[in-house]
Amino acid sequence: MGDAQPLLQVKDVSKSYFDNGKEFKILDRIRFELAEHDFVCVVGPSGCGKSTLLRIIVGLDTPTSGEVLFEGHPIRADNPQVAMVFQSFALFPWLTVAQNVELGLEALHEDPAKRRAVAKKFIDAVGLTGFENAYPRELSGGMKQRVGIARALAIEPLLLCMDEPFSSLDALTAQNLRDEILQLWSNPDLPPEAVLMVTHSIEEAVYLADRVIVLSSRPGRMVAELEIDLPRPRNRKDPEFYGWVDEIYSLIV
Amino acid sequence: MRGLRGRLRILAVALIVIGIGTAIEFPDAARAAATLPILALFSVLRMVAAYLLSLLFAISYGHTAATNRRAATVMLPVMDILQSIPILGFFPFVLLFFVNGPLGDPVGIETAAVFLIFTSMAWNMAFGVYESITTLPQDLDQAARGFGLHGWLRFRLLAFPAMVPKLVYNSILSWTNGWFFLVASEIITTPRASYIRPGLGSFIYLAGQRGDLGGIAIGIAALATVVLLLDIFLWRPTSVWSERFRIETTAAGERPSLHVPSPYERLRWLPRFPRLRREVARRIQPLLDGYARSSSKLDRVYSSHRRVIRAVRRADIGMFVVIFVIVVATGLIGLVGFFQRPLPPGARDLPIAAAFSFSRLLLAYLTALAWTIPAAAWLGRSKWAARFVTPAFEISASIPATALQPLIIGFAVVVTMGGYFAGEIGAYLVSLFAMQWYLLFNLIAGVRSIPGDLDEAARGFGLRGRTYWRRLLLPALVPSLATGSITAWGAGWNALIVAEYLQFGQSVFSVTGLGASLYGATVVTGDYAMGYLTVLTMTAVVLILNKLLWRPIYKRAAVKYRMEV
Repeated sequence: MGDAQPLLQVKDVSKSYFDNGKEFKILDRIRFELAEHDFVCVVGPSGCGKSTLLRIIVGLDTPTSGEVLFEGHPIRADNPQVAMVFQSFALFPWLTVAQNVELGLEALHEDPAKRRAVAKKFIDAVGLTGFENAYPRELSGGMKQRVGIARALAIEPLLLCMDEPFSSLDALTAQNLRDEILQLWSNPDLPPEAVLMVTHSIEEAVYLADRVIVLSSRPGRMVAELEIDLPRPRNRKDPEFYGWVDEIYSLIV
Repeated sequence: MRGLRGRLRILAVALIVIGIGTAIEFPDAARAAATLPILALFSVLRMVAAYLLSLLFAISYGHTAATNRRAATVMLPVMDILQSIPILGFFPFVLLFFVNGPLGDPVGIETAAVFLIFTSMAWNMAFGVYESITTLPQDLDQAARGFGLHGWLRFRLLAFPAMVPKLVYNSILSWTNGWFFLVASEIITTPRASYIRPGLGSFIYLAGQRGDLGGIAIGIAALATVVLLLDIFLWRPTSVWSERFRIETTAAGERPSLHVPSPYERLRWLPRFPRLRREVARRIQPLLDGYARSSSKLDRVYSSHRRVIRAVRRADIGMFVVIFVIVVATGLIGLVGFFQRPLPPGARDLPIAAAFSFSRLLLAYLTALAWTIPAAAWLGRSKWAARFVTPAFEISASIPATALQPLIIGFAVVVTMGGYFAGEIGAYLVSLFAMQWYLLFNLIAGVRSIPGDLDEAARGFGLRGRTYWRRLLLPALVPSLATGSITAWGAGWNALIVAEYLQFGQSVFSVTGLGASLYGATVVTGDYAMGYLTVLTMTAVVLILNKLLWRPIYKRAAVKYRMEV
């Protein structure tokens, strides 16, 4: 990190809901930083508020206290330097693959010719060449999530935020997409520079991340922040890999 | 496609038989029939005008109610009440306003007719828009926000497409409602004068007044033809098209459907003129490009002028508030005026009239239930019935009860040989025809939506006969029965207004009821205070029934008997 300003700073973020005057705490003082070239995974049991945390980080939700800074400024939901991939894909069913990928570019008022060219580039990058004019409902789950990823990458963000992106896919498809995300992340010519991913799968976190942030269940507190120093590509059968998985598992339980 | 062809064939045969038969029997009527295409055009134009108004209104009203919480507290109850009250009852007053206003005859009359049709079309569409926006999946909304879609761009790419399925579904309903009111709106009678606007509705009505059965039959056949042609060439394709805007609720694990159907797929057998279409497509390509360019420019201008947008939106809502305040204020002043003057002498009879009207509708409703439940159980499950019988029912249902009225009273006169009961039977039959189709088609949809594995499980465990009905079919039908009943009763109250005072040839058949007393007050005697009181009574009865009976039933049905697949 050095003297350079971190890309993302999450400063003591807490979130509560109020129901009939009663306070329900979801997140309790979450604090971490993320630098360019980081791949960070947030893991925790279901209901620990990790999806809420991600939505606060991208600016779609507001914290009850604390703040999120991106490049030193408070985050805004429509910041084109940050893009989001959803668990449910969140594709617009009435738009074709190409139109879905062009969505963010259209909001940036890029001209149609450039939009088309950029969309084509990222549709090719996620391996959907030839499906430009298909509608989401004609695609399998894995292909839909590829569209979701291409849509996020098309605005060429510095930070890619992913909310359980592979948990509604079958195991084989999910593993292929994990490797592709790693390839995109490590490719200096293609976005993103950094990835922040929320997952409930410890194995997935250990497989992908440089750093794993472990949250406890309700309210979500930071239990640990671990540097995974395994060399890439990582081998799931490696005893060291399993050492990490077991350690995180024992932290959550 | 087969079903469609079958329907067309049935329609064509029926029309040819009716046409030849009547032309031989009634040569005069055949000559009159030559004017039908132009009359049909007039009627359709009225409908289109009212529909376009409704569409604009529904989108802006529903969208505002869904996105502005403060406005919604007023807009939702207003929408709810206006949707459920018998609008037709207010027509005489609307008419007074338009006819005596600066517009006069015929512009004022036409405006009144379009306005009446508009009020029957707009509310359910506005509800559809409201529901589509409020049930938008959170993830889609967040994706739109995260990718920076604001203002016009958000409307164009997210809000409007999300409205399409419900808007199209409700448009079809609205057109059905609209036809019912169109027929009633083309003949306008006040104590002083009668105004007749050219159209299919007035054609049928006039034939009824002459006691001309052939004319009635030709008019009804023409109306049914228009309704069915619109259905085949406009609404069915549109509703297929609207499928591509449907939001899938389950994200994954589903088998991808192999392709998105084209709207005119079922009409493949028609000549398609490929060269002509290519030529047209080539000609309009520059236009489309221009549209794409200008709309992206519009997006930019629109989203960079937040203040202008906010001002427009405020003006919009302000307008609603002003109109609403005016309506409420005049209503209250009118009410206060009532209680200061002595009540009109007929007021004492209103509770009895209300009881009579209610019993009449109840009888019609029970009759409808008795035949539609078994019919739906059969039609919903038999492929053969779906192919041959359902289209026949669809054709019958396409004729609004208001148009059938002369035929029904003619029938009642023949059956009772002109006695008092002709009026009773006529009123009962008109109500029945207004109510039964809503039940039938909702129930058929209910039977079809029973999940296949549930049906298989029931049969696998040997449920048969009465047990099968009691354990599976009837409980599964409760939600569609509730929906169908609410719509049927709404239609029934509107129908009563035209059903309790019937004319055939020279004879008038009037029965005790709110509809008859409204007609008597506004058309015969010109006692508007009495008419106003009658409408208020009817509105009160309807609202009380809705709040105390239908809503609770509907809520319980929605929770307990819903199929969660």
